[in-house]
Amino acid sequence: MTLEAALGQALSGISLGMVWFLIAAGLSIIFGTLKILNMAHGSIYMLGGFLCYQVTSTFSHIPGVFWLALLVAPLVTALVGGCIEILLLRRIYGLDMIYQYLLTFGLILIVAEVCKLIWGVGYNTVAVPWPLNDTVSLFGLSFPKYNLFMIGMGILVFVGLRALIGATSLGAVVRAVTHNREIANALGINVPRVYTGVFMLGCWLAGLAGTLTPPMSVVALGADVSVIIDCFIIVVIGGLGSIPGAFLGAIILGFTTAFGLYIIPKLAVAFGFILMIIILIIRPRGLMGEPD
Amino acid sequence: MRNLVKALIVLGLGFALVAMPCIDPAPAASTEKPIKIGFIHSMSGAMSMYGISSEAGAKIAIKEINTAGGVLGRKLELITRDDKLSAETGLREAKDLILTEQVDFLTGTISSAVALAISSYVAKEKKIFIVNVSQSSQITEEKWNPYVFRINTNAVPYWGYAPAIALGKTWKPKKIVSLGFDYECGKNSLAAFKEKYLELVPDAQIIDELWAPLGTTDFTAHISKIANSGAEALFLACIYGGGEIAFTKQAYAFGLYDKMKMIQPCAGDVETWSDVKKGDPYPKGALATCRYPFWAIDNPKNKAFVEEHKKMVGFWPSYGAMNEYVAIHALKKAIEKVGSVDTEKLIKELAGMELDTFIGTVLLRAYDHQAMMPNWYGIIEFTPDLPFPHVTDTHTIGAEGYHTIEQIKNLRK
Repeated sequence: MTLEAALGQALSGISLGMVWFLIAAGLSIIFGTLKILNMAHGSIYMLGGFLCYQVTSTFSHIPGVFWLALLVAPLVTALVGGCIEILLLRRIYGLDMIYQYLLTFGLILIVAEVCKLIWGVGYNTVAVPWPLNDTVSLFGLSFPKYNLFMIGMGILVFVGLRALIGATSLGAVVRAVTHNREIANALGINVPRVYTGVFMLGCWLAGLAGTLTPPMSVVALGADVSVIIDCFIIVVIGGLGSIPGAFLGAIILGFTTAFGLYIIPKLAVAFGFILMIIILIIRPRGLMGEPD
Repeated sequence: MRNLVKALIVLGLGFALVAMPCIDPAPAASTEKPIKIGFIHSMSGAMSMYGISSEAGAKIAIKEINTAGGVLGRKLELITRDDKLSAETGLREAKDLILTEQVDFLTGTISSAVALAISSYVAKEKKIFIVNVSQSSQITEEKWNPYVFRINTNAVPYWGYAPAIALGKTWKPKKIVSLGFDYECGKNSLAAFKEKYLELVPDAQIIDELWAPLGTTDFTAHISKIANSGAEALFLACIYGGGEIAFTKQAYAFGLYDKMKMIQPCAGDVETWSDVKKGDPYPKGALATCRYPFWAIDNPKNKAFVEEHKKMVGFWPSYGAMNEYVAIHALKKAIEKVGSVDTEKLIKELAGMELDTFIGTVLLRAYDHQAMMPNWYGIIEFTPDLPFPHVTDTHTIGAEGYHTIEQIKNLRK
């Protein structure tokens, strides 16, 4: 394996992983605070993709419209998330886990049908935005600027989330609610509002990932289910509820996919699952998960 | 007020009844009942473009035939049904068409599952079924029965043999890497390609086989691996639709099309690329197969057909439209020779018939009822003639692209 090939696989792996990280981080934050495993998280991601397509195609006459989409689409998904939390999830917090599975699974079907009604079943595309529609040369390897941008966004969001939750007073409130809901409530923290806020943040992240993907991919139905499987693998590896865990898990899965593909291509499809099984055997709570 | 509305309705209905004979002068001359053709296709949803296009092909043929006096003095009539890509719905529509509408023939289908379901049904009802889009080779090979005809290519030449022959006639690369969707069609496609290509270029080898789960849209890691694989060419096995668009965008961004030879079957058909404009990513310089490059066929009948199709439905004709047009004309020719719509006699007439197409005659092979429709190939580029990227410098592959009768005999054992 040459240096160029290794660098190529490494960058591709991280670029794959960073999009997954954005989605998995949202999944993890929501679970950490609300104790809800949002199976419809992939649907929010897909919705972000369709919104990105909608904004870029409606305002295609504006140059650099993608950057507008990057601002608008995640906000819309966050608002959709807010509605879901207030109207639906609030009713089931006290109930058995099976109710959240049923509810969030139902949401997968509803979001998919709504997307089908609005945008149809065809394939939609979004152009790579200026000034990223080019490649850069790194040690003789040419790599699309847009993929580097996606990597940068992943790292930026990771650092931002760490700072937000670890170093701000808002983050302290979220940590308090995550740690002990009742005491936080007794101390005068408005717990339902924190829940709504955290769920919206999670959906904003999924929407961000959904908006970032289309320029290098295609906007179509089916993205919801295919991405959620990868994200479940990531949170199992990293530990559900932990943002650094999701970051680590995403990088590990990205690397495993990219290098696995390089070394034993015929087994590539199975690598994620093999990794998950190994982690479940040796460290069931995930690499950075808290013990129960 | 209510009375006024009622009066208006009565008035309207009355006018409609009076006006009807004026709008549609009753064909008093042809007292013979029409010959009915049941057309079952995907008329809604993701694949409906093929259904609508194929229906247009049939309608153009029927209009030509009926204007010229019909067949044996009888008009042709098309009855369209939507199978919604479901074998169950397709079969239900087929039953309704034969039992209630009493159609004389069935034609259509895109989904191979629908085609196979209808195939076994028509064998019981003893009616002819002509397939115009479905690709599975099983329809005319392992699961064939004498009531089934196919006027279209099938998966063997289209996904495997034709790209192999095309590659053997053009670049003849020795080291090839493949990338496919990890499911039956992908595996079959690579197997057929490998078999034919290694026969033509014995010292070639497939140095790596890469697979991605069906539905993958991020091929970044695959592309990076392909770029560094040391192969001269990439064969794309059965990656189509959204996956193909996503792959092409990423491969284009990585400069893969400049780096190595690309064999991208399917990219030659207009359906995926007709919305792509100059400046967008496209399969630049790739070798592609195509089932109907209407821009490359120099025949006034073809030109008129393309115009008529565009006028009728508003978009470029798919290969389904051409196949359906050929199928309806084949039926007409056979009925006129036989002098009736007797199924058994028509089967004898159709089997081995020389079909009239836009590129001369094509054999409808008697053994498996598979038409030897050509597979075109060429290099994907933009030209000033068309607004979208398309195969240029086209050549055709005919019967040599199909399984031989010997091969099919072995498969049917």
